[in-house]
Amino acid sequence: MTHASPTPTKKYDLNFARWVYENVDGGDRMALCMQCGTCSGSCPVGQQMDYGPRKLFMMIRAGLKEEVLKSNTLWNCVSCYNCVVRCPRKVPVTYILHDLATVAVREGYAEAKESDNSRFAKAFWWSAAKYGRTDERLVTALYYFSFGMGEGYKRGMANMPIAMGMVKTKRMHLGMPHKCKNTGELKKILAKAAEIEARSHAGGAGNANPAGGTAGHDK
Amino acid sequence: MSERKTGVYLCSGCGIGEAVNVATLEGVAKSEFRMEPKTHACLCGDEGVGMIKADIDAGVNQVIVAACSARVMTDRFAFEPHLTIRADLREKVIWSHPAGDEDTQMLAEDYLRMALSQAPKVTAPEPWVDGDYSQRICVLGGGVTGLTAAKEAAALGHDVLLIERSDRLGGHALGASKRLPHRPPYDSPEPNDVDALVAAVKAESRIVVKMSVTVTKTAGMPGKFAVTLSDGSVEDVGAIVIATGWRPYDATKLGHLGYGASPDVVTNVEFEAMLKAGRPQRKSSGQPVKSVAFVQCAGSRDPNHLPYCSNVCCATSLKQALELIQADPLTNCYVIYEEMRTPGVAEELYRAAQKAGVIFIKGKVKGVGADLTVTVADELVQADIPLQGLDMVVLATGMVPNSTNPDAAAEEYGADLLKGDVDPEAPIKVAGYCGSEPGAHERREQAIPPGGPLLNLQYRQGPHLPVLHDGFADSHYICFPYETRRTGIYTCGPVRRPMDWAEAAEDAQGAVLKAVQAVRSAAAGAALHPRVGDLSFPKINYNQCTKCRRCTVECPFGAIDENAEQYPQVNATRCRRCGTCMGACPVRTISFDNYSVEMLTTQIKSVKIPDEFSGKPRILVIACENDAVPSLDMAGIKRNSWSAHVRVLPVRCLGSVSLLCVSDALSVGYDGVMLMGCKPGDDYQCHFVKGSAMAAERLSKIGETLKSMMLEPERVVQVEASIADADRLPKVIDEFVDRIMGIGFNPFKGF
Ligand code: SF4
Ligand code: SF4
Ligand code: SF4
Ligand code: SF4
Repeated sequence: MTHASPTPTKKYDLNFARWVYENVDGGDRMALCMQCGTCSGSCPVGQQMDYGPRKLFMMIRAGLKEEVLKSNTLWNCVSCYNCVVRCPRKVPVTYILHDLATVAVREGYAEAKESDNSRFAKAFWWSAAKYGRTDERLVTALYYFSFGMGEGYKRGMANMPIAMGMVKTKRMHLGMPHKCKNTGELKKILAKAAEIEARSHAGGAGNANPAGGTAGHDK
Repeated sequence: MSERKTGVYLCSGCGIGEAVNVATLEGVAKSEFRMEPKTHACLCGDEGVGMIKADIDAGVNQVIVAACSARVMTDRFAFEPHLTIRADLREKVIWSHPAGDEDTQMLAEDYLRMALSQAPKVTAPEPWVDGDYSQRICVLGGGVTGLTAAKEAAALGHDVLLIERSDRLGGHALGASKRLPHRPPYDSPEPNDVDALVAAVKAESRIVVKMSVTVTKTAGMPGKFAVTLSDGSVEDVGAIVIATGWRPYDATKLGHLGYGASPDVVTNVEFEAMLKAGRPQRKSSGQPVKSVAFVQCAGSRDPNHLPYCSNVCCATSLKQALELIQADPLTNCYVIYEEMRTPGVAEELYRAAQKAGVIFIKGKVKGVGADLTVTVADELVQADIPLQGLDMVVLATGMVPNSTNPDAAAEEYGADLLKGDVDPEAPIKVAGYCGSEPGAHERREQAIPPGGPLLNLQYRQGPHLPVLHDGFADSHYICFPYETRRTGIYTCGPVRRPMDWAEAAEDAQGAVLKAVQAVRSAAAGAALHPRVGDLSFPKINYNQCTKCRRCTVECPFGAIDENAEQYPQVNATRCRRCGTCMGACPVRTISFDNYSVEMLTTQIKSVKIPDEFSGKPRILVIACENDAVPSLDMAGIKRNSWSAHVRVLPVRCLGSVSLLCVSDALSVGYDGVMLMGCKPGDDYQCHFVKGSAMAAERLSKIGETLKSMMLEPERVVQVEASIADADRLPKVIDEFVDRIMGIGFNPFKGF
């Protein structure tokens, strides 16, 4: 949206850190992070992250904006909330990571736009926003074909036996996708959320994002 | 003293009567000592005590109580002015050994013999009191610590002489913009309130302030100090409180952190003055400071500079950063640290600084350029990171104690003595050390701050106040703070360890209470810590003294000087009654009314040594009464058990153990001797500072003697005991007994 993050001109330039404190969901509490490492140590997917949350937060302070917004840390978080529960300084690590992911997409970091997880998030969100439910077939198809026709076909065929097995055991159905009862109401709710979010970002200060309502919501 | 009439009282309560045969014990007193003991089933009860009192009214003037440990029921069995001798049949016999056992019975009998045999050797002590004593307290140093000390001493009703080297009261606090938080919620710098303290001291009529003077000479002893000042006056005082504080570490030695590279690299003391003067500005350009890096541990915790943590510089940097941010929220403050140390409530200040946006960078400074670029090996980001665009670099320099007077030249006389005194932990290896063996340590290089002696003591052991290896005035941080190795002279504030304003004020209160106790006890002839109230003092028989001066040198408190004929002379109120002089004297000519080498050897020899065919060894454990004996008592209370072949001889301090006690024990047939006392060393737990170290040093020389007696050196060991060793000591003792049984019986048995 409008309010883009500033880019540091030198190490430990505090403009990006201060922007994160003020504009990212939970960022104000990030100032209190004391670098204990409890979050990184608790994270079940920490091994699959470029940097654990602890280091990522220090990099934000160090003004390493580019490395932060390009990192897969933002995308690999599985929202288990282990870190949030354990952080001695009550830093809402999970919210911060998810909101940073939206920042990365919004500000056009190619790595963020092209990462597997952001593709999946987009597919997931499309289904959730349209039907109020996720349809496995549509989500996987959208995700697979986001890599191109050939690649999508290849991945789809590779997973066909699994899909058939699921149909056979009634874990997946054929036919029209299931919907929630009132998709009209759902649309209104989402429109309202988007409006609130736009307002808070346009305002620049504060972090009035509704908790947890930010993951993968570009478009 | 009138003729000695000794009453012997046995207690059969607390299970003693069931576990040992008291009638046989009575028989020992009757047949071996020709004494008529009385037994009571609850000796500490009104009836038992009444029985003893009735005997005292009828002429008994020395009481022997064979019951519980000498450490309990002391008020019940105090019959002043008469002496009470205690034999412990409870903690160290029936609670720690099986009931109805032959060996337990023999143990009880031997402890009774030890008590009975010493009776003729001791008398109730008569105190040393001589003329007038001053109740006035001298406080050296007019900073926060000294001002608080003066105020508190006056509030306790004592006249105070407050001496300040500069021409102003207030010390370093005068240069402080604000002070560290000292009251809830502890999260923000507090106003500097030293002016109120100065005013309170000036308004107190009991306090006489002398400024722009130093002490040129101090003679005498507690209650009778004569302090000569640089203005020529001589003041009589009873005790001295040293509150000389600290000086900042010499920043010119911190070139590696950029000091001198730019005028905008300053110390925290310099920066504090800038904050006090208003908004800090760059010295180079006059521009306001908008971006500051604080470099922690500038000199501190660095073996090449100050080996210790200066304790307050972390909190001080937090305070200074917060002051800057409170003035302008957009100031960039970076704190470069290796470990943030915010003891106690200073953690709240740390949190406040984080909340305020101070950036904490963990790492080492690799270099500071003339353009103020600070390169940090950043541990958290794991890269070398250059910090650019800084306006100022503040070095958080540490505290150097004013344990010497920086204005005075170092005194030639006594410098060796001071160095020799710095680390009582000589690299001593004791033969056959048992338990956890202390590593052989090198004598540590000590950092005596440059300058002359503070008090210029006219003591035989030199003019200095002994310091620890890091240069702080010696005082035990935890167990007995304030105490120095010079009785009646107490330290408080940063001269004894780095501390902040609020802590220093609290410290001053503690030291003043000590000083008050010192002047009051001196006038009564009573000892101070740790033998508080003891009226005995060492007496030297000049007819036998060979003027060898061992006592003068070994006294941990410098209590002994030499008189005109070169004989050692005890300054009684300086003496702490440890008996180290007694243990040092090669001709056993130093003794107390109630404590002497003869009294100890008599006890040692009173024990019945069975012949080797009985299969029962005898091991002597000479145990210090400060920690080792209480620890054994606690072992008894916990019903921990140890070999019944061991006889425990309590002593005032291992320092008071003459080697003659050890050789006497071996020559009468003990199979092994264990000395059990506090930890020696720079981090000593010895209540008399050097006593256990002196014992270890003496023991290190006993090997030759043992060899000449054709005995194995492993028969004599020293072990460290602490108050918390109730579970460990029984094992240590049993291990030693096993080891001795491995060596075999002492061939001197039966001679
Ligand atoms: S657990 Fe909390 S305080 Fe610790 S490093 Fe993670 S975010 Fe920081
Ligand atoms: S919530 Fe995300 S960052 Fe936190 S522990 Fe779970 S996966 Fe890791
Ligand atoms: S208080 Fe902090 S800066 Fe000072 S020596 Fe200790 S750790 Fe270093
Ligand atoms: S060695 Fe101990 S007992 Fe002897 S004079 Fe010194 S303090 Fe007193």
